[in-house]
Amino acid sequence: MIWQLDLSILTLIVICAFATIMVKDLLSAAIIFGAYSFLMCLLWTEMGAVDVAFTEASVGAGVSTVLFFAAVHQTTRRVRTRKSGRMLAKVFALMAALLTGLVLIIAETDFPGFASPFTPASLHLSPYYITQSLHDTNVPNIVTSVLADYRGFDTMFETAVIFTAGLAVIAILRRYKRDDRCDLPEPYVISEGYPDTIIRFIARQLAPFIQLFALYVVAHGHHSPGGGFQGGVILGASFILLAISYDSRMIIGIMSERLNILLGNIGVLIYAGIGFLCLLLGANFLDYSVLSKVLPATDKIMARSHGMLGIEIGVAIAVMAIVISIYLNIISHGKYDKG
Amino acid sequence: MDSFFIGTGVALCLLMLLTLHRAIHGPTAIDRIMGVNVIGTKTTILLVIIGTIYHRVDMFIDIALAYALLNFIVTIAASRYFQQHKNLNPKGYGYRFPAEDD
Amino acid sequence: MDIVVIVLTVIALLFFFATTVGLLRFPDFYSRMHAAGKGDTLSSLVILLALVLYNFHEINLANLLVAMKILLIAVFIFMASPTATHAIIDAGYESGIKPWAKNPEEESP
Repeated sequence: MIWQLDLSILTLIVICAFATIMVKDLLSAAIIFGAYSFLMCLLWTEMGAVDVAFTEASVGAGVSTVLFFAAVHQTTRRVRTRKSGRMLAKVFALMAALLTGLVLIIAETDFPGFASPFTPASLHLSPYYITQSLHDTNVPNIVTSVLADYRGFDTMFETAVIFTAGLAVIAILRRYKRDDRCDLPEPYVISEGYPDTIIRFIARQLAPFIQLFALYVVAHGHHSPGGGFQGGVILGASFILLAISYDSRMIIGIMSERLNILLGNIGVLIYAGIGFLCLLLGANFLDYSVLSKVLPATDKIMARSHGMLGIEIGVAIAVMAIVISIYLNIISHGKYDKG
Repeated sequence: MDSFFIGTGVALCLLMLLTLHRAIHGPTAIDRIMGVNVIGTKTTILLVIIGTIYHRVDMFIDIALAYALLNFIVTIAASRYFQQHKNLNPKGYGYRFPAEDD
Repeated sequence: MDIVVIVLTVIALLFFFATTVGLLRFPDFYSRMHAAGKGDTLSSLVILLALVLYNFHEINLANLLVAMKILLIAVFIFMASPTATHAIIDAGYESGIKPWAKNPEEESP
């Protein structure tokens, strides 16, 4: 914890947060929110939490900002400003927020000191993970082992939540040809993609390397910061790059809607499937050590490591498919024809 | 040597503050996109410097690479927006809200 | 070796400072983009080179790998940052931002 850097980054974050609220233009607010995400990732890194920083960088500063742009693109940039009235509502809201803050601050004095080693989590739970994780699972990255092995249920439901989010976007936005009763007027001309040679060339050259890097992040999650979520998001971001520099039609040709949903399903199925396989082999759900009966030439400890790799791959596939699906749904008005 | 790198980090944060001024007060939205691009590049460098201060650069390199990537993608996405919505000010575009005056 | 690292980092910080001053003080969008795009890329490359040299306290395989990864970031920034600058300037041009002229009445031929 380097306090000088901590202080300066926190100051920048507070300024960014205020600016996001006060700016009257929605596109600019989305851009400054992207900068806020960038700086937040920097703060996590400086505190030493590299996995969290990686996830914040890929999801918050990358895909989330692009999805904000897509949403503002389809709606409008103006902010509704009411000139008059409702003063009572504003005062009430301010009092409610201040009261909540006061209660939280009073409750916070009951906590142990900031990062003190005497909290219950640090006394009983963390030393077990720190000392036993390498011995139990042969994976040096403790975050990955806690996420995928010791707390595997949570990660499975997180993946299911991501899949549900993709389904929700489809349920809200998707329009088919046969029930197109109220067609929104399109006040602008959609050009055929980004007709710029430089950007197309660079995107075409860079996309395979970005995908290779994403696969490296997934596979190397056991030894360095990374894992399934981050790799999946970067994979999805490479497709979004291609969709931006060319037209969305090209990406729809490669990853059609049916393939996207199928891949999302397969990702969650791999995760739950490995859990069920462990059940079939006679142990608890998601207890990877019995996989040593199926995988050749592994003992119980290596089987846990391989089980974790399997579910990381499932998570990456699911996240990639859902990110592409949400982007394509938003950018094409739900009609999947152009963008 | 550590304190030199900490000083470099603080200097970069100060420069980021000045760039943030351009990102917030830029008269058009494109100035803000440019400001965020510069902030993103400075953050990439700052990540590698933080790794050097902690003496474990190998952990922080992957994040820095992913960062540079996503900075690039966000900038291209923001510029693509302007390919199709060709005015810089938010007034005068879009579906009119009924009985709304600016 | 430390002296070289310190000198390179100070040079890179000077370029960063010049970039930021240019970003704030230039009168026109296009000149600001010039400052941001070029100065930013150059400063990033120099400071990444300084960090590569700092890692070579001892030559072994792990350090070589780390150095190659930092050079990979440098190559990526070298390819991607000018493209992003080009994209932003294109967006500005398509939206009709006019270049700055010293006397607004003069028209450039």
